[in-house]
Amino acid sequence: MIENVTNIPLESLLGHVQDMLFSGYRFITATSVDNGDGTIDVLYHFDKELEMKHLRITVNKQDEIPSISGIYFGAVLVENEMKELFGLNIKNIVIDYGGHMLLSDEELDAPMSRQITIVNKDKGGEPQ
Amino acid sequence: MFDMIGNIFKNLGTKPATRCYPFEKREPFEASRGRVKGIEIEKCIFCGICSRKCPADAIRVDRNAKSWEIDPFKCVICGACAEVCPKKCVIMDEAYTQPTTAKDKLTYVQAAKEESQSQAG
Amino acid sequence: MNGKTVIPFGPQHPVLPEPLQLKLVMQDEKIVEAIPAIGYVHRGLEKLTETKEFTQNVFVIERICGICSFKHALAYCQGMENLMGIEVPDRARFLRVIWGELHRMHSHLLWLGLLADAFGFESLFMQAWRDREKVMDIMEATAGSRVIISTNQIGGTRRDISPEMLAKIVDVVNDVKEDIERVEKVFCNDYTVKHRMVGIGVLSKENAKLWGAVGPMARGSGIAEDVRTLGYAAYGELDLEPVVETDGDCYARMKVRLRELYQSIDLIKQAIAKIPEGPINVPVKGNPNGEVISRVEQPRGEALYYMRANGGKTLDRLRVRTPTFANIPTLLKMLPGHHLADVPILILTIDPCISCTER
Ligand code: SF4
Ligand code: SF4
Repeated sequence: MIENVTNIPLESLLGHVQDMLFSGYRFITATSVDNGDGTIDVLYHFDKELEMKHLRITVNKQDEIPSISGIYFGAVLVENEMKELFGLNIKNIVIDYGGHMLLSDEELDAPMSRQITIVNKDKGGEPQ
Repeated sequence: MFDMIGNIFKNLGTKPATRCYPFEKREPFEASRGRVKGIEIEKCIFCGICSRKCPADAIRVDRNAKSWEIDPFKCVICGACAEVCPKKCVIMDEAYTQPTTAKDKLTYVQAAKEESQSQAG
Repeated sequence: MNGKTVIPFGPQHPVLPEPLQLKLVMQDEKIVEAIPAIGYVHRGLEKLTETKEFTQNVFVIERICGICSFKHALAYCQGMENLMGIEVPDRARFLRVIWGELHRMHSHLLWLGLLADAFGFESLFMQAWRDREKVMDIMEATAGSRVIISTNQIGGTRRDISPEMLAKIVDVVNDVKEDIERVEKVFCNDYTVKHRMVGIGVLSKENAKLWGAVGPMARGSGIAEDVRTLGYAAYGELDLEPVVETDGDCYARMKVRLRELYQSIDLIKQAIAKIPEGPINVPVKGNPNGEVISRVEQPRGEALYYMRANGGKTLDRLRVRTPTFANIPTLLKMLPGHHLADVPILILTIDPCISCTER
């Protein structure tokens, strides 16, 4: 459904992002989606004169992902967010909150990833 | 600078834009979604559609006890329940909910008489 | 080095209605570095949407933002309509433009008021909000609520606007236009205002692009990008030129917003003149499957929605990138080198909406 998606391997992420910068693209944001089978899709969205282009990497939960915030500073917030909510292992973010941008100490790790099904627990706890 | 002074004098000369609220109330607009006032319990068939469509899970319908209950403090006044009800028996009111001191739920129970009637019929 | 002080700005600050904290590292009166701390209003709405039916999600999505709720719902509905191949009736597309532009008007008027408040011009603040109230009244009279108007649904709109009401809207926006003309003179020519805004927080075109600025931020720096020009809803059938200023300072950003107010009024009038008769929504059948991206232009800039569905009633993932999320990094880069006294104005000119940012 989405046009202009390029699937790229994790290793070439930084190279591709660098290319985007050279060809004058603006970084919109990144999206992470849990596929439910232990892998996570990360989509990087770019825009040039309202044409969008996307890069997609598929990673395992423990894979080390290089940060693109050194290239596009605008990625700082979103990378921290993905790190916290999905438990992605993103390295070398320019401003690294170490998992405390949105969440506090007492909260669950990676609340958005599939492993923790808060919903089911709640429903099960209710008197049936 | 003088542009603003003009505005200020104009405002001084006209009547205030605000109301003296508790004493003077604004008429609610006809189309306002003020609150869910309640339901016409005799019409309700306890299908539970309203409670399933409610985004705030504010309605609880019990088919066996023939009761319909809304928690007005959970309700976000979206009007979805009134829209989906097949019997159109949820009543919306254009006036806002008044502040209260207790978080009471609104409960309606259909009279037992109805039940025997429907069984007979 | 010695001589550095860290001054926390916020989370409670008179100019910020919302909790954003900036740790400002200062050298004398100048800022050297700014580090944001957000997370005070994180509500986990993205997670919540995974547990609700996709039709119910509209109501959740609207509550992301207390200012541009309609635009959020619009982005979501348009994305889902694309995904499910739903053809929206023409009248609904025009109604969406009308409500969407009313939302932009009230958002910009609110912002102008807050800006006036930030530099201590109280009477101007009151004046701007007084004018905004007229827009809020139309919103309540047509949609039923002041802000969370809940008129979007997948497949069209939930309410119609009667011809009499449309005529009244034209009257009201004409009236508001006169009001805006009066406050515009103050905003554009007043000595105090100019003194606080001209030449402050200059963002060059290259940097705006590099740091990913969107909306009035980018347009104030000469980037003529407006997602509305893609022609979603009925924008394709209306005359629309992105408002651009080239100076890139706070004053330019304010002028962009002021001129966008006139643009909105114009768009509302065009839409009302062209609105066709007909149905306002079509029923939704089946469940969505696949992934989709949808973008709209909100008062604060471009918002991006990403949805992935699996053929069930609930969505797998719904991601929201709100405009402030993109503008905060730009703000961080802009702050160093400025005086502490300019910080409130600088922060306000990105029109921060923190609830949006954290969702
Ligand atoms: S949808 Fe209407 S009829 Fe059905 S349970 Fe709710 S109120 Fe009763
Ligand atoms: S108005 Fe909306 S939130 Fe309130 S009870 Fe009805 S469906 Fe639920």
